[in-house]
Amino acid sequence: MVKRIVDLRSDTVTKPTETMRAAIADAEVGDDVLEHDPTAFQLESEMAKIMGKEAGLFVPSGTMANLISVLVHCECRGSEVILGHNSHIHIYENGGISTIGGVHPRTVHNNDDGTMDIDLIEAAIRDSKEEITFPITRLICLENTHCNHGGRCLSVEYTDRVGEVAKKHGLKLHIDGARIFNASVALGVPVDRLVQAADSVSVCLSKGLGAPVGSVIVGSNSFITKARRLRKTLGGGMRQVGILCAAALVALHENLPKLESDHKKARLLADGLDKIKGLRVDTSSVETNIIYIEIEEFSGTTAAKLCKNLEEYGILLMQTALSRLRVVLHHQISESDVQYALSCFQKAVNGVQNENGN
Amino acid sequence: MVTRTVDLRSDTVTKPTEAMRAAMATAEVEDDVLDFDPTAVRLEAEIAKRMGKEAGLFVPSGTMGNLISVLTHCDVRGSEVILGDNCHIFIYENGGISTIGGVHPRTVKNNSDGTMDLDLIEAAIRDPRGEIVYPTTKLICLENTHANSGGKCLTAEYTDQVGELAKKHDLKLHIDGARIFNASVALGVPVDRLVQAADSVSVCLSKGIGAPIGSVIVGSKSFIAKARRLRKTLGGGMRQVGVITAAALVALQENVGKLESDHKKARLLADGLNQMKGLRVDPVETNIVYIEIEEGLHMSAAKIVKNLEERGILVMEISSSRIRVVLHHQISASDVQYALSCFQNAVKGGQTENGN
Repeated sequence: MVKRIVDLRSDTVTKPTETMRAAIADAEVGDDVLEHDPTAFQLESEMAKIMGKEAGLFVPSGTMANLISVLVHCECRGSEVILGHNSHIHIYENGGISTIGGVHPRTVHNNDDGTMDIDLIEAAIRDSKEEITFPITRLICLENTHCNHGGRCLSVEYTDRVGEVAKKHGLKLHIDGARIFNASVALGVPVDRLVQAADSVSVCLSKGLGAPVGSVIVGSNSFITKARRLRKTLGGGMRQVGILCAAALVALHENLPKLESDHKKARLLADGLDKIKGLRVDTSSVETNIIYIEIEEFSGTTAAKLCKNLEEYGILLMQTALSRLRVVLHHQISESDVQYALSCFQKAVNGVQNENGN
Repeated sequence: MVTRTVDLRSDTVTKPTEAMRAAMATAEVEDDVLDFDPTAVRLEAEIAKRMGKEAGLFVPSGTMGNLISVLTHCDVRGSEVILGDNCHIFIYENGGISTIGGVHPRTVKNNSDGTMDLDLIEAAIRDPRGEIVYPTTKLICLENTHANSGGKCLTAEYTDQVGELAKKHDLKLHIDGARIFNASVALGVPVDRLVQAADSVSVCLSKGIGAPIGSVIVGSKSFIAKARRLRKTLGGGMRQVGVITAAALVALQENVGKLESDHKKARLLADGLNQMKGLRVDPVETNIVYIEIEEGLHMSAAKIVKNLEERGILVMEISSSRIRVVLHHQISASDVQYALSCFQNAVKGGQTENGN
């Protein structure tokens, strides 16, 4: 019997649609290293325009986009970057900014809403008078939406304030905008306004926008020129890359309008899950397409067990801690999938409760 | 007037064929970071099998293939790698093994045939007794075919000898095999035999094999496991990457068989160019042709390149008196004839001006 699969592990699992596949097949291509692949150029220009920046650069992944951005802003030896203690760059990018880039990270506590207190950021900036023992702070990184904090949005006001702190101290500001469009849609703020204060932004196309591969970095012309060279050094210079960019262009046009509906599905699922005895969801913090589910002690189950039970029903999700699960909605999850997932959760949790005589 | 374009700058310019485009459009895919993309797995397994190695890893470029290989073999701080002074890794990869990977390069002179003298390699290996001042040699890199030497092939015998040297000194051997299939075809040696002595090989699919993107690294299972992690760190972990690897699988099927004909075209072109007064062509073994502009012609490479460009012939200027041409499967025999006539036209100017 073919099992119905509802893959809620991440929005990266999205598969290319028919229109994307057709675009891949017809893409106009060139050698993007010897010159400029025309479709890559089209995507990069369009992204830059949408973000209100001068230029863009297509890269194979968000990890490379962040790595390049940090390393270009921190191109001098002895640099330090301020970023959230629970940010994607710090936690899930293999420490590459240090192990590969030689940049020192200075973490500041991420609040539940994804922000860092402005006064704590300012306190973390190295006083250059003490230069004999300090690295030199060059960059502040924000993450919007903030993945580990449930896809919460940083407001434009907050971003602007961090931008002002950066300017005041001669620092650059980079936004890990893997899900920046989710933030823009949820906040109702045009994306270029949202990232106005930033010197650079990395934007994922392979997540909620649904493209098969890639991210785009945007910034000034001179920043992107340096980024292009570093991309080559890291090995991200691809040849007839237009085939990937063609799919990304379709993703941008087709799926951007669907993000609001992903957020609706997330709220629906979150509300339903919170009603299940044994599970707790902070529904007020579900702002975009990510849901964190706490498993209550009295439920008698663990995240690992629940994950496994749900897998048997075809519901795939991610265990993030002993008693914590994560679910991510995307455009290839239907409303009926959401209802099905809810009923499976109910069954799985009830099953345990029955086992334990609850 | 639409100029006929004959792009001889590199074999990287090859565009995806209809069959590749169809394969990309219908590729079976999954998230290659969360799980394993099935089409990527197929390609990696296929290349590993052909190379006689345990496992493979698809990467966006040859540069990343080499960078990962060097860094994985040299994963301890204070490592040194021995490589040719005119090899691709040393000249054309932005010094990444050092600037990104912290590995120190120790160059040994590349002979005009792409080899390095064995005794010079051995002399370059750091004596462990000097460790207080020496980095630790971990790796030797060869390049086959050797691009800057004109696409020259390293024989299986030579490769084996370097392998033995590496083993004797407890070093690893990596082959930059961007054009390893060209070497295998030209030498008439099965590719797995050719790379038998190597611990790892990086193989380009986007050059003569004609795929739009990518390379595959092959090596032992444990090497590839580390390589996969480093690939993620460098940012080469792509999601539904099967759309690209599907094209690479088609390329393998379709174009390895065409490499011999690329070599024939290169020889045809080289012979024709050699007959032109004022030009001299180095011996050609595979698909790369280097053209020296003799002093007596009194024409710069730049001038010739520009002249050719006006006729739609694209070539690469290497220096003020040296031009490079690379043949590939999207250059026809008729293109070769056309290119020859354009070259003839271009140098005639120099020949006539100087009363030759």
